[in-house]
Amino acid sequence: MVGLPYDCLANPLGAVRLTFEKAVACGSDPSTFDGRDWGATDLFKQFLFDDGGLSQVPFLNPSNMPWVQPNTLVRFRGMIQDMLGNEFYVGAYKDGETWRTNKFADFSQFPMATVSSPDMSVWERRLLYCVPVPWQNSWIEHSSEALVNPSSISSSLQSEKRHREDDQAMHDIDMQVTNEEVHASTSNKKMREDGLTFNSSNPGDTTSVLPNFDRTSFPCLVKIYDSPESDLKLNDVFEFIGVYTFDPEFPVDKNDNNDLESSLCDDTLTQMPPSKVPRLHCLVHRKLSTQDFISGSPTFELKSHVVKATREALLGHLTTILGNDGVAANFMLLHLLSKVHARVDSIAVGKLSLNLTCFNKETVSVFGHRLNLALKNLLPFTHSVPLTVDYLNKVSLAPKKDYQTNRLVSGILQLAEGSHLTIDETQLLEGTLNPTGAQNARVLRSLLELQKVEYDFTYYKMDMPTDIQLLILSEEKSNILPGDLVLPFRPSLVDAVQDAETQVLQSWRWYLATMRSLSHSIEQEIQKVVEDDLVAARQADRSLSSLDFSRLLTMGRLVSLSFGETSLTLEHWQMAKELERLRKERLQGSS
Amino acid sequence: MTDFDFNRDKDLAKHFLSNFVDSNGEAKYMNILQDVANRKTKAIEIELEDLADYKDLDEEFIRRIAENTKRYITILASAIDELMPEPTEAIPDDDHDILMTQRSEEGTENTDGSDPKQKMPPEIKRFYEVYIKASSKGRPYTIREVKASYIGQLVRISGIVTRCSDVKPLMQVAVYTCEECGFEIYQEVTARVFMPLFECPSYRCKVNKAKGNLILQLRASKFLKFQEAKIQELAEHVPKGHIPRSMTVHFRGELTRKVSPGDVVELSGIFLPMPYTGFRAMRAGLIADTYLEAMSVSHFKKKYEDYELRGDEEEQIARLAEDGDIYNKLSRSLAPEIFGHEDIKKALLLLLVGAPHRKLKDGMKIRGDLHICLMGDPGVAKSQLLKHIINVAPRGVYTTGKGSSGVGLTAAVQKDPVTNEMVLEGGALVLADMGICAIDEFDKMDESDRTAIHEVMEQQTVSIAKAGITTSLNARTAVLAAANPAWGRYDMRRTPAENINLPPALLSRFDLLWLILDRADMDADLELARHVVYVHQNKESPALGFTPLEPSVLRAYISAARRLSPSVPKELEEYIAGAYSSIRQEEAKSNTPHSYTTVRTLLSILRISAALARLRFSEKVAQSDVDEALRLMQMSKFSLYSDDRQKSGLDAISDIYSILRDEAARMNRLELSYAQALNWISRKGYSEAQLKECLEEYAALNVWQIHPDSFNIRFIDA
Repeated sequence: MVGLPYDCLANPLGAVRLTFEKAVACGSDPSTFDGRDWGATDLFKQFLFDDGGLSQVPFLNPSNMPWVQPNTLVRFRGMIQDMLGNEFYVGAYKDGETWRTNKFADFSQFPMATVSSPDMSVWERRLLYCVPVPWQNSWIEHSSEALVNPSSISSSLQSEKRHREDDQAMHDIDMQVTNEEVHASTSNKKMREDGLTFNSSNPGDTTSVLPNFDRTSFPCLVKIYDSPESDLKLNDVFEFIGVYTFDPEFPVDKNDNNDLESSLCDDTLTQMPPSKVPRLHCLVHRKLSTQDFISGSPTFELKSHVVKATREALLGHLTTILGNDGVAANFMLLHLLSKVHARVDSIAVGKLSLNLTCFNKETVSVFGHRLNLALKNLLPFTHSVPLTVDYLNKVSLAPKKDYQTNRLVSGILQLAEGSHLTIDETQLLEGTLNPTGAQNARVLRSLLELQKVEYDFTYYKMDMPTDIQLLILSEEKSNILPGDLVLPFRPSLVDAVQDAETQVLQSWRWYLATMRSLSHSIEQEIQKVVEDDLVAARQADRSLSSLDFSRLLTMGRLVSLSFGETSLTLEHWQMAKELERLRKERLQGSS
Repeated sequence: MTDFDFNRDKDLAKHFLSNFVDSNGEAKYMNILQDVANRKTKAIEIELEDLADYKDLDEEFIRRIAENTKRYITILASAIDELMPEPTEAIPDDDHDILMTQRSEEGTENTDGSDPKQKMPPEIKRFYEVYIKASSKGRPYTIREVKASYIGQLVRISGIVTRCSDVKPLMQVAVYTCEECGFEIYQEVTARVFMPLFECPSYRCKVNKAKGNLILQLRASKFLKFQEAKIQELAEHVPKGHIPRSMTVHFRGELTRKVSPGDVVELSGIFLPMPYTGFRAMRAGLIADTYLEAMSVSHFKKKYEDYELRGDEEEQIARLAEDGDIYNKLSRSLAPEIFGHEDIKKALLLLLVGAPHRKLKDGMKIRGDLHICLMGDPGVAKSQLLKHIINVAPRGVYTTGKGSSGVGLTAAVQKDPVTNEMVLEGGALVLADMGICAIDEFDKMDESDRTAIHEVMEQQTVSIAKAGITTSLNARTAVLAAANPAWGRYDMRRTPAENINLPPALLSRFDLLWLILDRADMDADLELARHVVYVHQNKESPALGFTPLEPSVLRAYISAARRLSPSVPKELEEYIAGAYSSIRQEEAKSNTPHSYTTVRTLLSILRISAALARLRFSEKVAQSDVDEALRLMQMSKFSLYSDDRQKSGLDAISDIYSILRDEAARMNRLELSYAQALNWISRKGYSEAQLKECLEEYAALNVWQIHPDSFNIRFIDA
């Protein structure tokens, strides 16, 4: 269609309105809609995916927020951190004789009767509190920001708001300069800088409101319409495309706290005023996998020789990082490819946490640091935790519900699917754990054993399934953190690690993300071999449990995935067994 | 036009209130009204179920009430006003009454009654509150299910109270007096915030243009108790990967102070939008907050006795009960993910069901709860079994022998930090009263708790004499214990007694003791390997060959079974006595007695048999129940001593033969029916397949003849 009568990008609400009027004209009675879609979503889906409109939609992030105009179409990538429940709004009402809708909008565009009448139907929408994916590495932002072209956005200014926006824009440019400068320095410094401005800023002062988001806490309140509840789960990473609203001039009413309703007031409007937290009225959303974060890169082909070459190169890189310890590098590769691909009863199938032992103060400072850096470059979301008694006693690992504010207070372990967590146990000294510490140790243990984090709701606890790759560095086999694989680390020489080129890094990232997501099966013939091998192993060593079997199978699967194969071959099974043998040897050698 | 309808509905309501007769033939609501008139009660709770039962009302009327409850409460209240009888008892006049008399006297003086602003709102005269209680039929909603379309309607929801505000006064009718004309002016307050009147609206002041100054009369105004609370969804109602939702609830008048944080409650109430006031009304524009105006509160109880069956459950149970194989089906559905251990699961099922408590004429009590101890190597899924049982049981406490709190397992006297009083705090066993207490790491229990547990397991009480408190608390609980062998792993070279790290006095209190060993067994290993491979291949557990019953169905079935108290018929008494004495004799014969067969064993047999009868929904214990009880006890012994059996050189087949031969010799008969044979061998812990094998083998040796159809055995006299 040429010459659409509306602009989905700059005036999405206009498009919504048009479809609504069309639907009403076609004889639908809005009072019977009950919040259901009348064709607006289809229109946007077509615009975004079929007509290639998606790439024109700007990302909403702290650096371009000043440019993005309210009531335009934006997209936001984030993790669902909290679910705030439903919000009721007047969905459709009669303005004189014509029906109007308020769907996808904060305020009504037309005068509305204040008293309720039969010609007014109340609909509901879900509120999701989203934050950027925790511990997102900086390379992701570079690749996603590359897509945004700020000039196209500023050209789509809405004329009626021109005057005010111009002032705003002038001001924004100033802000942008400072932002750019800060960005040039380390991100750590930036956070501090922002923290300072945040603290010193006056909530009522609109001039200092905008740049108050630091990169790690840039929340967005996403309002979800028409989609089944089961689609969106806590900790899922989504891309939301919808109408952006942000009201920097929203008055923060300070007297509000003193009135009658203060006691149990947990209203989102006071807690997250629109002047602080942008809102997004979601039209279309899609779940993201790690692969989606490696967009903007040249596409790689899933060909066996390409995969093999990438594997070799990556393995070589890992070996160098791990001081020429080939076995450790092999296990590291399997570990990085691991993923919880099924949950059967209480077992998380496919997890493979790695416990590298034989670290001491010196080796950890060298290799631990190198490893962290390498992981940061390879994986999208990584984080490293130094485990000390003090840390355990103070930090809150599991999220907890705060009933005063009615919010879920995030913990370190509220992570998106596929995050990587390194726990450095070498700094752990003797000490006493207080109740919090004991609780934290328990949470870590259940994370390692079951890939579940217990969220604390005071009156009861709820298990949230997670999929986190866990790497533990310790001096001896860790008892607090029982990893699936325990491997004594034997570095032989410390080579300087060469920085890999961006292109190469990109290919490794692609390799890890893609291989991880491949499906895998075990064919009938090989199944028999595997079963016999397992039985023979158990006959030889009674201490093998079903967990060991499970781990061996996971290793077999990951070895084969690392070659890009989707079914287990005898060769790869032998490789997995050989790796296990080498590991056992080392374990015996070290004890 | 709508007014007309409401007037008609008011008449309907009056008709209902004055004529409704409950199942006892009492005029329920008129009695309540009389109590209200006599100032005995303040709350009038109208149950929708009563309306449904009342024959003269149509469905439409009930629907109208349920969908527009707030409006109908005023209608019902005005109907009640007209029906309110005179008090039959003398009641002292309080301030309110004095005010009311004054007002009515004044009312007759100034017949300015035409001025609507001066009309007394009916609320101020009422000294009662009207509540409409939703029908308790069907399942209550979860908070998640209450949608926008329910606004204004009566809903019933369940949840847990997370926060409560203080109880505060809420103005219902504001009363002012005018400085100019002296009239009382009434203002009804419907929202939480109201705009006070400043100018006298009365006719006289209007005409005089006096703009009379109004003074709020706090004493004359009517206030209501008001409390706000937050409730949250129960954990089991939250879909996977979601966060529990919460909802604001307003309690008024008599319903205040009924809940406290942590209570699991079922509420019926009106789901209402809360109009924003002040600045938020201006900015919030379209959004409305909602709350539930509570109409009734009831607390959840989680006991078998209080378990109410839902309609479909009753049907399901009836269907299950008809099915012959209920015993196997239920036991397999316990912890279906744990492979094997059929007999242990059967025993655990019986633990859940239990036997009825008996109270003898002389006041002695005999416990009905079964105690089971699972002993075994680490990593044989003992803890999982325990946890699963606790999940199925409506009331269960899971704890470890080294209980975490100072209260421990039994009870402790503690100083209350606020009042400084000594208070008695129950431990896990007391908390599990009328339920199941699962104790993991039983062997690592504190010495003090272990002594106390003797009493709990037989007398089912916890006695305490500390800090001037001498009392005994009920602990009618079934103990399910799990313990590790003395040296961590079961040591085959030592005797069972050495391996079991518990004193015999404690052991004898367990009805069944089970040893789960991790044996080197090729078949089991292959089974395990297959299972793991299957899980990895298919991302699900291998099909169980049956669909396990849902825990809720299990719970419903068990609670239904627990209502029965089966008795032992006369003719079975001898049979049981015979079986008991034969066990005693066997023990006497053997030179290494493994077990201490005492009267407790006999009681155990009776308990297990009664539990089996309950499972069949039978009021009488049958012989098959006793046989199964004996078999389970035998199996539990075998789990401990099966090695000895192997050492004695008898394989299963020849053992079965000797059992049958001995039995035939004892009865001095040459013929044995198949059923009899099966009975005898299963009691010794053999399977039907083994029996068949034995029959074939020995028939081939011409020791006996087997009837081709009935499989009856006839010994060939040599």
